[in-house]
Amino acid sequence: MLEIKNLNIEFHDHLVPETVVHDLNLSVEQGEIVGLVGESGSGKSMTALAVAGLLRRHDMKKTGQILFEGQNLLECGRSELRKLQGSEISMIFQEPMTSLNPVRRIGWQVEEALKLHTELGKEERRARALEVLSQVELQDPERVYRAYPHELSGGMRQRVMIAAAIVCRPKLLIADEPTTALDVTIQAQIVRLLQKINRESRVAVLFISHDLSLVRQLCSRVAVMQNGYLVEAGNTEDIFRNPGEEYTRQLIAAIPKIERGGKEGNAT
Amino acid sequence: MKKKKNWNLIIGSLMTGCMILFMLLGLFYTPYDPEAMDASSKLAGISSAHLMGCDNFGRDILSRVLKGSGTTLFVAAGTVAIGTLVGIFIGALTGYYGGILDEVLMRIIDALFAFPSILLALVFISLIGPGKYNVIVALGIAFIPSFSRIVRSQFLYQKNMDYVSSAKLQGASAFRIMFVHILPNTLPVLSSSIMIGFNNAVLAEAGMSYLGIGVQPPDASLGRMLSEAQSYLVTAPGFALFPGLIIILMVLGFSLLAEGISHAGD
Repeated sequence: MLEIKNLNIEFHDHLVPETVVHDLNLSVEQGEIVGLVGESGSGKSMTALAVAGLLRRHDMKKTGQILFEGQNLLECGRSELRKLQGSEISMIFQEPMTSLNPVRRIGWQVEEALKLHTELGKEERRARALEVLSQVELQDPERVYRAYPHELSGGMRQRVMIAAAIVCRPKLLIADEPTTALDVTIQAQIVRLLQKINRESRVAVLFISHDLSLVRQLCSRVAVMQNGYLVEAGNTEDIFRNPGEEYTRQLIAAIPKIERGGKEGNAT
Repeated sequence: MKKKKNWNLIIGSLMTGCMILFMLLGLFYTPYDPEAMDASSKLAGISSAHLMGCDNFGRDILSRVLKGSGTTLFVAAGTVAIGTLVGIFIGALTGYYGGILDEVLMRIIDALFAFPSILLALVFISLIGPGKYNVIVALGIAFIPSFSRIVRSQFLYQKNMDYVSSAKLQGASAFRIMFVHILPNTLPVLSSSIMIGFNNAVLAEAGMSYLGIGVQPPDASLGRMLSEAQSYLVTAPGFALFPGLIIILMVLGFSLLAEGISHAGD
């Protein structure tokens, strides 16, 4: 469904051009969850933004192809891209505290994609918004619908973001470190929620994270990036059992482990 | 913790409310015809018949102040409306898009900004001639630079917020992002600058009418009345006192209201 072929992203805002993504090849099939991991600055977020169509600046050069159902997103016009954004491809961000418009009610924001991409009337939009708000397991969706962002907690806001992203039943959901800004218990809930949504509505998820333990839980396939290069890609379990590259091995070794009996061992 | 009362807001809105009532009253009722002259009561003092006395043509000052405050508010409102609407448009485009458009428009704005707005309005008036509506146009144009600056700086700040990216990702057009998503977020800043702009417009209108290039006789306006009264400051102090007092009350009310609103936003 999504196929990235030989993607290069180059910045031209300094004297020397800087390439942040080199020759990337990656594909996402319908209904699967693919993890994209790597440390900060490895180019994973840039890849995500390019797929989402948010990298449209004059001071950068992009070559290669990003094919979404056969259509090259790098070459299609702005208005064609806008038709896809929100209806076929949507994205959730790292920072739920600032991703919602502070002066608009939650209901209004969840309905935005419906207003732009469907012909639904007011009542139908409201019904659909309430439906997704309860789908993302928010208690009392009626109250959330009328609330302003500052009245909600970080976890609730991230749920709202997910609701707004899936309201038009997209085929691809890009999640750019959606759990990084949340505490651990909420992280687990959000990951379970993404899993549930993926199961229920067959939406493919491109899950970007530096947290390998989350990726292992969630993704069927994983791609590892380092310094703009794709280091390794494949089945998640295969990669975790037999990492082919030194960098992947180091990343896996860096996952903190809870060791049983560690307390006694340390108390010497 | 008990919240401190926002006295600025309370007193400001009370005063502004009174002034607006006063102006509305002037639209429907004045004790005398504000333009009717009466030689017998020329420069008459304060009496039960003429609560604020009469001017040099024997016209009732209360009636003229009632009528004139309406004119002054109308001119101020028109000026601010032109300044704000055009300012929002220019500020939004330059702030949101940046680039060459921003450079070109902002240099023009800078050039306009280099002149005091009253001087700029004087230039426009000398081009298009005096009169109530021309004053609105001239002052309106003179007010555009400051409003576009304020709106632009707000847009520059807001356009990098994540909620703008998520709006883009939902497929919203640039126009929709600018005016439906970002604009409401600039309102706290914009509303107090509108109030301050309103004040400046009241003063600018009074100033221009005082100079004789604003509202033309026989139309009454507060500045016009002050200008007519200056030869009679000693013989008939009420003639200058009452229009001046109304200007002070109007401006003070708006200032307090603007201050109160900006504190209420915190």
